[in-house]
Amino acid sequence: MDIISQLAGVIVPVFICVGFGVLWSKIGTPFDSGLITSLVYNVGAPCLILATFQKVELSPAAMGEIALATLACYAAFTVIGFGLLRLLRLDLPSYLPSLIFPLTGSMGLPVSYFAFGDEGLALAIVYFTFGAIGTFTIGAAIAEGKLSYAKLARAPVLYAVVIAVTLQLTGGRLPEWIFNTTDLLGGMVIPAQLVALGVSLLDLRTGGATRSAFLGAFRLAMGVAVGVAIAWAFGLDGPARAIVIIQSAMPVAISSYLFAQKFGRKPEEVAGMVVSSTALSFVTLPFLLLLVL
Amino acid sequence: MAAAYCGLFRIPFHGGHPLFLQIFSVIAPVFVCAGIGFVWGRAGRPFDTRMVGALALNLGMPCLAFSALTKLKVSPEAFAEMAGAYALVLGCFLVVGLISITVMRLPAHTFLPVFTSSNTGNMGLPLCLFAFGPEGLALGICVFVLSSLFSFTVGWSIYAGRVAADVFYNNPLIYAVAIALVFMVTDTPPPVWLANTTALMGGLAIPLMLISLGVAISKMRAEGAGRIIIICTVKLIAGFAVGYGIATLLGLEGAARGALIIESAMPVAVHNYMFAQKFNRNTADTASMILVSTAISLASLPLLMLIVL
Repeated sequence: MDIISQLAGVIVPVFICVGFGVLWSKIGTPFDSGLITSLVYNVGAPCLILATFQKVELSPAAMGEIALATLACYAAFTVIGFGLLRLLRLDLPSYLPSLIFPLTGSMGLPVSYFAFGDEGLALAIVYFTFGAIGTFTIGAAIAEGKLSYAKLARAPVLYAVVIAVTLQLTGGRLPEWIFNTTDLLGGMVIPAQLVALGVSLLDLRTGGATRSAFLGAFRLAMGVAVGVAIAWAFGLDGPARAIVIIQSAMPVAISSYLFAQKFGRKPEEVAGMVVSSTALSFVTLPFLLLLVL
Repeated sequence: MAAAYCGLFRIPFHGGHPLFLQIFSVIAPVFVCAGIGFVWGRAGRPFDTRMVGALALNLGMPCLAFSALTKLKVSPEAFAEMAGAYALVLGCFLVVGLISITVMRLPAHTFLPVFTSSNTGNMGLPLCLFAFGPEGLALGICVFVLSSLFSFTVGWSIYAGRVAADVFYNNPLIYAVAIALVFMVTDTPPPVWLANTTALMGGLAIPLMLISLGVAISKMRAEGAGRIIIICTVKLIAGFAVGYGIATLLGLEGAARGALIIESAMPVAVHNYMFAQKFNRNTADTASMILVSTAISLASLPLLMLIVL
């Protein structure tokens, strides 16, 4: 009973917030997803990073460990994804970003936070930051066909991470008023993203049902396997192990769809992967948590 | 843990700073968030204020109020006393507001709610916490919920220009408070999933409202500035006087007295801007009054804190 209420405390908030988004879109009220994404990535996420790192103390070793594990996960996703797509003779620009990048922000952060508190959130943010930077640079580059350094230089999360890590290493603290401000603004990141996810789940025009469902399911299975393997290989335990597994096992990131749409890389099929893997993750999430809690 | 996304409750207390710096750290977020909206608007980026407003008022605020109420650690008697005292304050605010708009010949639909709804949430609560610790915060929350409820019913009707039944059945905040009261009266904590969900969603309300406020200000031109400064000054002075008077009249002491005075003396609430926009009232004047009264309180708050502490 206790474990059920613990699981419910982690999963139900995610369901309900996504449900609000679905309801919003059902009622037919307009929802500007572009605005919300832009607010979250340019304002909210950098603030969340700064505020969260002020609240927890991570040793340089712990930070380095989770950062390396994260990079290893992304490298593994890339290699496995590449191999699978070659095997199935599918084109890389359309499908590879969806296989590499999990939904670490809107779903991974609240799950990590409700399961492991501020420490879990801080660790999950390290994973999320690599993902966010990677999606907007490498993910976009794969979909577009060329790499843009300007995009990397313009990612506010990058600056926030640099500041947060510097402060952690030097033992410095943000002035009170900056902390209060970033804490307030960071609070909108997760709910805004979850509602936006709910809205887009219904708005997405999906296609290629069988293939996208298979690839979506593959993303989830590969995520768990890679997460468990990397956590084991790095000898992680406690929250660090759990966060690497949780974040790796998230469904296909919605940002992959945005790029697919922007660059005309089979957006319907990518949407299908997003929807099928998200729906499936609602079923698999309790088991994933049982595995790591 | 559940409170972490409810920005209101995370204002930590570090002793040793000068008073002004402490107060500044409570007020600064209001200006920085509005400033971000301002830059956003000036840069010409699209911003759907109606959508953001609906998100903040229909989802964010009800969750914030529910979350605040169910975390309240205060006896029902103290809650009732505080709510009763603030109800008297609100009554006085209505009288002051009616006199002011009659004297200045202003339309009630834009200017009356400015007197009755104060920033009791994101400014009043941290100040109560800073001055009186957790007890002050709990008492501040009583005021915050009553004040929000008043704004979302009476204030809403004033903006709408009619007393509409939809104020009651179409108002998520009322449902949220009603459900929270059931938990409070029966003395049961809400299930973890509900507490977590509302704390999470509650985090949307204040940042979104402040950013839209900034966007609005970036698109307006300054006019009638003198009138706005007069209204804001009247509102702040009357607020303090009414709070002080009621606290003395009821013989409140300690944290209850301080929290009542602080909350009564707060500047104009941010959600007024959302209402003004929803009902096509004078959004430019409303936005200016919110900012001007907040700016004035930057100067007057240290004085206020000296009086209540």
